[in-house]
Amino acid sequence: MNDMRILERDVDAKAIKIAARNVQVFYGDNHAIKDVDVDIEDKTVTAFIGPSGCGKSTFLRCLNRMNDTIDVCRVEGDIAIDGEDIYDKRVDPVQLRAKVGMVFQKPNPFPKSIYDNVAYGPRIHGLAQNKAELDEIVEHSLRSAAIWDEVKDRLSAPGTGLSGGQQQRLCIARAVATQPEVLLMDEPCSALDPIATAQVEELIDDLRQNFSVVIVTHSMQQAARVSQKTAFFHLGNLVEYGETGTIFTNPVDPRTESYITGRIG
Amino acid sequence: MTDATNADLPYSEPAGVKKGSLMTQDARTRKRNAAEKRFKAYGVIAISIGMLMLLVLVYNIISRGTGAFQQTFVTLDVELSAERLDKVGNRDINDLRKVSTFGYAPLLREAFEAKVAEHGIETDLSSKDMAGILSPSAPALLRNYVLSTPSVIGETIKFEFLASGRVDGYLKDRVTRDSIAEDKNISPAQLDFVDQLLEVGFVEKRFNMNFITGADSSDARPEAAGMGVSMLGSLFMMLVVLALALPIGVAASIYLEEFAPKNWITDIIEVNISNLAAVPSIVFGILGLAVFINYMHLPNSAPLVGGLVLTLMTLPTIIISTRASLKAVPPSIRDAALGVGASKMQSVFHHVLPLAAPGILTGTIIGLAQALGETAPLLLIGMVGFIASNPPDSIASGLLDPNSAMPAQIYEWAKRSDPAFYERAWGGIIILLGFLITMNTIAVILRRRFERRW
Repeated sequence: MNDMRILERDVDAKAIKIAARNVQVFYGDNHAIKDVDVDIEDKTVTAFIGPSGCGKSTFLRCLNRMNDTIDVCRVEGDIAIDGEDIYDKRVDPVQLRAKVGMVFQKPNPFPKSIYDNVAYGPRIHGLAQNKAELDEIVEHSLRSAAIWDEVKDRLSAPGTGLSGGQQQRLCIARAVATQPEVLLMDEPCSALDPIATAQVEELIDDLRQNFSVVIVTHSMQQAARVSQKTAFFHLGNLVEYGETGTIFTNPVDPRTESYITGRIG
Repeated sequence: MTDATNADLPYSEPAGVKKGSLMTQDARTRKRNAAEKRFKAYGVIAISIGMLMLLVLVYNIISRGTGAFQQTFVTLDVELSAERLDKVGNRDINDLRKVSTFGYAPLLREAFEAKVAEHGIETDLSSKDMAGILSPSAPALLRNYVLSTPSVIGETIKFEFLASGRVDGYLKDRVTRDSIAEDKNISPAQLDFVDQLLEVGFVEKRFNMNFITGADSSDARPEAAGMGVSMLGSLFMMLVVLALALPIGVAASIYLEEFAPKNWITDIIEVNISNLAAVPSIVFGILGLAVFINYMHLPNSAPLVGGLVLTLMTLPTIIISTRASLKAVPPSIRDAALGVGASKMQSVFHHVLPLAAPGILTGTIIGLAQALGETAPLLLIGMVGFIASNPPDSIASGLLDPNSAMPAQIYEWAKRSDPAFYERAWGGIIILLGFLITMNTIAVILRRRFERRW
């Protein structure tokens, strides 16, 4: 790990995009997330790290209410995006998810053409008035996911025919196409080889220009490489949250230090 | 360490046996291999028994049923004399109608006499007995022809009449001179006459389209019976089943699988659907009788009622297979759709349903095939034992007029006394199996063709 590089990372204070207070998540009787308070900044990559089962993915899925699809899951506390409580009764989760895009662990393109994969979101949200606008959104999305050059000649080929890394970038393009404000990524590189991982990481860094990116990762190196802020979860608790450089070089909590140095996890 | 202490060790090997050579199998391995061989042998035996049974079944069906597709015809030149058919002479249809079927019988006798004279056939038979080798339907056929085209009166026209069931059986080796010793319908002399006609080529056995397209007939005329009308009855029933069971079944499955909360109510519904699939079909029949006919006063014996009953029977099959194919769609697809902000319904209709469609279609076709072969419920709503002599002429009459269905028709033939009907029952089974095999093949092709891998 290149500690120097991390220390030099520019970490200006930015506006708070997501504010979570006192978040509790229960799966039936299981108390999966306990009292999590976290502020996620705009135009920043925030990494959630921690051992398996520590609740980092669960917390991520609270941010776009994907947990609503699980019957036994119950969320308490406040999560606000731009000051609006997303668990308010008036909030439609479908509208929320258009604003908070998500990329999953396993690349999951629709078994449709590459074009249709990207165009699906804009179509259902009515983002394009006509075919030309839609084409433009698709091209722009594919470009921002750094996959345009690879697929521009075969937009009508099925998305499932791409390689794993390409599929994941296609999924990122699909998420970007709905013009979200926050992009959630749940271990986006865990199914990818190192080369594809490097491409996706580079892409994440680019995406930071326009979005607030929250990434869950098992790889501490990855967290160190791509994020400006890091949150360490352990057994459902948010143990430590701060500048990535600080967390990796000078953690406050002994549990963080043990995890980072490989003694627990 | 001494030898004495060594011998006391519990796992010491007997002297002289080399331990663990790979060149010889030890007792355990031999036993294990023998067990494996035995198990394979059981499997081969089981499959052989199954294949043998299948072969016996297919051989039986084909050897007994193919006869029904062939029929014996007698060629006759009949002079439609104006003197007998139109005494008034003005070809008025109302006058022509006054000549009954019996009035046409003499024409056939005369035709036989003429033929015998022309070809020098020596026979002691009376002309009435000669005409006895024809199907009893022959005069009616002649009359229908004349009434439809009165202009032919006075001409001599070549007709092909069905031979009677006994004569047909004689040509198919079902009827012999011994077997008709007690038979009042035919005499050995008539069979001799048939032999003579065969020689000059006026009796011949050939493919019988009427068996596939025609209507059932009364007990006295097995040679005229066909599957066609009951096939239409089955077709209309299947249309009802498809139109009701597919949308209801798919809607129910989508709701249960994708939208319904998982609680004790849905659990009970689920258990009941599985149980419904196992309810004997005759129970659905008596339910149909009680509800659709006695309570709702829908017509007896109508394909509409049959279709409704079979819909009840097919629904569980369709629901179970649809739910299975919805379950088989990976959750990552649903996540992906929800993740880009699709609503639950959009994710189901845009992504899950198209992926599940081949499975749903396969299940539906198999459910339909099941319904097509179902007899028991039809017995209770009166779709058996009824003879529909004309094919339905409109969709409404197809749905509401009394009719039979293929399996019910087969049952009806099998319980009649004349062995000629028995042959037709087997023939009907060939047609029914043809339909079932076709439907199942379509199901398999659909599954292969549209199967997706994720």
